[in-house]
Amino acid sequence: MKFTILDCQFSIDFLKPGILKNYKLEIVNRKSQIGEEHIMSNEIWVFAEQQEGKVRKVAFELLSAGAELSKKTGSQVAAILLGSGLQEAVKSLIPFADKIYLMDDPAFASYTSDAYLINMAPLIKEHQPSILLGGATSTGKDLFPRLATHLQTGYAPDCTGLAMKENGKLVAKRPLYGGKVFAEMTFSEARPQMATVRNNTFLVNQNINKSAQVISISSHTDPSSLKKKVLGLEKAAGTKLDITEAEIVVAGGRGIKAPENFKMIEELSDVLNASVGTTRATVDEGWRDQKDQIGKSGKNISAKLYMAFGISGAIHHVLGIGTCKTVVAVDTDPNALIFNYADYGIVGDLFQIVPALTEELKKAMKE
Amino acid sequence: MEKVDVIIVGGGLAGLSCAYELADSGMTVIVLERGDFSGSKNVTGGRIYLSPLRNYLPDLWKEAPLERHVTKEFITLLGETNSATFELYSNRFNREPYPSYTILRAKFDRWLADLVSEKGVFVIPQKNVNDLIKEGDKVIGIKAEDEEIGADCVVAADGILSFMAEKAGLRQPFQPQHFALGFKEVIALDPKTIEDRFRLGEKEGAAQLFVGTLTKGIMGGGFLYTNQESLSLGMVVGIHSLNQREPREEIYKFLDGFKERPEIKNLIKGGEVVEYSAHLISEGGIHIKPKVYGDGILVTGDAAGLGLNMLVTVRGMEYAMASGVLAGRTIKMAKEKNDFSASTLSHYEKLLNESFIMNEMNNFKNTLSILENERLFSKYPQVISDLFEKVMRVDEHPKESLYKTIFQGLKGSFLSLDTFKDWLKFRKI
Amino acid sequence: MEIYILVKQVPDPEAIVKVKSDSELEIENKYFTNFFDEIAIEAGLKLREKFGGKVTVLTVDNKKVDALRRGIAMGADDAIQITDPALEGSDQFAIAKALAAYLKDKPFGLILAGRQAMDDDAGIVGPAVAELLGIPHVNTIIGLEINDPKKEVKVIREVEGGKEILSCSLPALFTCQKGLNNPRIPQVMNVMKAMKTQIKKIDLAALGLSVADAGSQAAKIKVQKYLSPPKRPPVKMIKEDFPENVKALVKLLREEAKVI
Repeated sequence: MKFTILDCQFSIDFLKPGILKNYKLEIVNRKSQIGEEHIMSNEIWVFAEQQEGKVRKVAFELLSAGAELSKKTGSQVAAILLGSGLQEAVKSLIPFADKIYLMDDPAFASYTSDAYLINMAPLIKEHQPSILLGGATSTGKDLFPRLATHLQTGYAPDCTGLAMKENGKLVAKRPLYGGKVFAEMTFSEARPQMATVRNNTFLVNQNINKSAQVISISSHTDPSSLKKKVLGLEKAAGTKLDITEAEIVVAGGRGIKAPENFKMIEELSDVLNASVGTTRATVDEGWRDQKDQIGKSGKNISAKLYMAFGISGAIHHVLGIGTCKTVVAVDTDPNALIFNYADYGIVGDLFQIVPALTEELKKAMKE
Repeated sequence: MEKVDVIIVGGGLAGLSCAYELADSGMTVIVLERGDFSGSKNVTGGRIYLSPLRNYLPDLWKEAPLERHVTKEFITLLGETNSATFELYSNRFNREPYPSYTILRAKFDRWLADLVSEKGVFVIPQKNVNDLIKEGDKVIGIKAEDEEIGADCVVAADGILSFMAEKAGLRQPFQPQHFALGFKEVIALDPKTIEDRFRLGEKEGAAQLFVGTLTKGIMGGGFLYTNQESLSLGMVVGIHSLNQREPREEIYKFLDGFKERPEIKNLIKGGEVVEYSAHLISEGGIHIKPKVYGDGILVTGDAAGLGLNMLVTVRGMEYAMASGVLAGRTIKMAKEKNDFSASTLSHYEKLLNESFIMNEMNNFKNTLSILENERLFSKYPQVISDLFEKVMRVDEHPKESLYKTIFQGLKGSFLSLDTFKDWLKFRKI
Repeated sequence: MEIYILVKQVPDPEAIVKVKSDSELEIENKYFTNFFDEIAIEAGLKLREKFGGKVTVLTVDNKKVDALRRGIAMGADDAIQITDPALEGSDQFAIAKALAAYLKDKPFGLILAGRQAMDDDAGIVGPAVAELLGIPHVNTIIGLEINDPKKEVKVIREVEGGKEILSCSLPALFTCQKGLNNPRIPQVMNVMKAMKTQIKKIDLAALGLSVADAGSQAAKIKVQKYLSPPKRPPVKMIKEDFPENVKALVKLLREEAKVI
């Protein structure tokens, strides 16, 4: 253990046994953290998932949520960040957290559950945060159940709401049976209380204005011991966000009638900076890719605006849009089920409406 | 090709009853049902009459999940803005063994399938039988998607548009006038509310038939049955009659219009529609009955055209179950002789003819021609309701003597050549 | 190759599920084999076709074994039901513990599971079993290439923004996602065989576990309350004709919903 005293600031480096890697010392905040004891803390930790050096939006959403939750208990909020080449990432996180536990190492460039788990687990065991949150992303859903099992603690997946009780106990709200019912989950005494949370459940609060202390941790990883290796990433065509992350999703179903007709939906999505979703029908026909499928055997989305064109509204689809804030539906059939799940509806011909809507939105955006 | 003793195509009432009869015979019996589970594709109004069935399936009814035993019968004649209802209650309906019960098919069929499975019959859902396998005229098996399975006997219990009967060459082509379309909603309602509205005791039920302007002159009628915790409300319309009507009417509009009538609206108030279903009904009776046996094949239930419109009720379920049992008995007999040829299996037809099924089908063979009479569905119900209204009305004019009122009414509406001819025909019902 | 498939029977997506009270749900009696588990079974069967060996389906359930029968009907060799009254009220971690206890002394080459169960939508059991067995896992695979079971295998995993290609050593556990394959429909004769199959039952004692390892007292997460989904207010149908309706919609989205 080495204490470095600089200008009335303390920063604590941990030298771990095993392979010593280069570590960086970055002193950024001006708060003193004297006498940190390694007992069960009431800290709220957020797994700051990053991709290619950029922290995912959901992490900022959860740090914002953490800041809000911590008001009840006066807890500190920390981000735990693993990756490689993370200078920019750290900078972006500083206003959002009291602490950042940083592990910057080429071994973490691509997420693998073994590399991340081996390194996160000891840190968590040491600091015993009360709560550990992560985004319900493919990484989050891969890491958290395994990590929770390793730590022998409870985990609530894919949550759509969080609340804090006076005693620091977390209540996590999550959908069951595809969203037909919801459950409020509570945790046993084991710590941390873990939860993955859906994108867009919380808003990013740009006014937290914290000043995180960065704590660099050296990596434990012997690359040869890893049983999994990422060989590559086949990126999907286009630069749009995944439908689970997008704030606005526009979708076309069987009513689009032919794959070429999706072009007008895509033009609409360009104007709105939205992602394009679809239903099982078009995926099964081979018109659209599965990654865009919304519904029971596809994805759940939590967009702030969802627009459905030519989608009848079968139950397995609508369960995927339950947590969208505003839903618009356009269909030729006035009795289409989709209208039971929408906020605004138009009975009409989407082939007329979509291009007109695109034009109208272009005008509105200009103002 | 793998082989079993008996393949029953269709897991509805006919198929399952046949399976039930064969369950203790020691034969390997499989039932192939195309729905996700038995009952998922079956619909009835409906009500099942147990009295005729107690001889065929004596032990089934104690545990069977039936709804309410019917103690009240209603017949309602609907005019445009008025209606007249006849209500019958009898102590006989309220004494065990109860003659009839309202029934929900998804529940009942599923229970029966489970029961039959427990007895050792293989009830296999999600299996669509596409074809028969024949050796010359002899049926030796079936084809389900890619799989071929052989059997000593195939029982066609695949419902009203039976492909098996067609593939076996036993059935003639369909004609629209032999079919009606039944469609209904199941409306959830608190049992106490049901009992209050229909003035029933606990677990007692009511059955109500409607005829008149609800079908806008098209052949058909309406029905309302009380289930334990819901109402079955629906209509039947003749397909041919429906097709002839210009401009074409949407089916759902009929039911919506029916529900709007004050007589109905108040009965279903506060209820929640939990199910909507529709099904074809065979009304051709004896006129469309196919040949019900062949080499290695028997035809039962709706597939054998065993459905009948008796005006005051529509029969199908009892015929399905009884014919299924008779088919089962025939197969047991054939197995003893190890002979599944047409001549041996013809015993089935003999049994059918001796049963209540064919007796009734014969007695009611003229119903179809009566039903083609449009006046039955528009004029007569209106006229009768109007007549009652006139009799009961007391307004600012001095009320005339009752005889005069009735005579005027009858003269105006019923004294015509058409009515006289109708009367002659009605004697055949 | 010894392949184990973790399966679960869940309510059909069409089944009605309602909140009966704070602590109870009313679930319509319509069950089926979890959609993603069938994909896992199919993957296992395909590997057996390629490399020979044995496919066993495995479930933890006190009542329902139709998912196991489905596995047999599709072609699995063996079916195991882990069942014990003490398992009532268990959370996913306890279920994983029971499965891992069963599997730990088996010579498995590969364990397959569905990406999540369609009742709890949790996706916990697969990775949890992998962790307890100390084997690597990959979630939501849509591609699986094994050329030599003794060497590393290639898996393709669905991630946001595309498909990730990984290599992984065996033994491992993979959870299967739609798109990996199309599960075969069992043949009638195989369904009959499955209906007759004797299913091996294993209890906690046989697994070397105690009552304390299972049930609600061991649960790390619990349902405090069930809630109905938030009800949307009735839809506002835009009545104007085209093209006024489009203008009206944009106005509403801007001023009322404030989403653009």
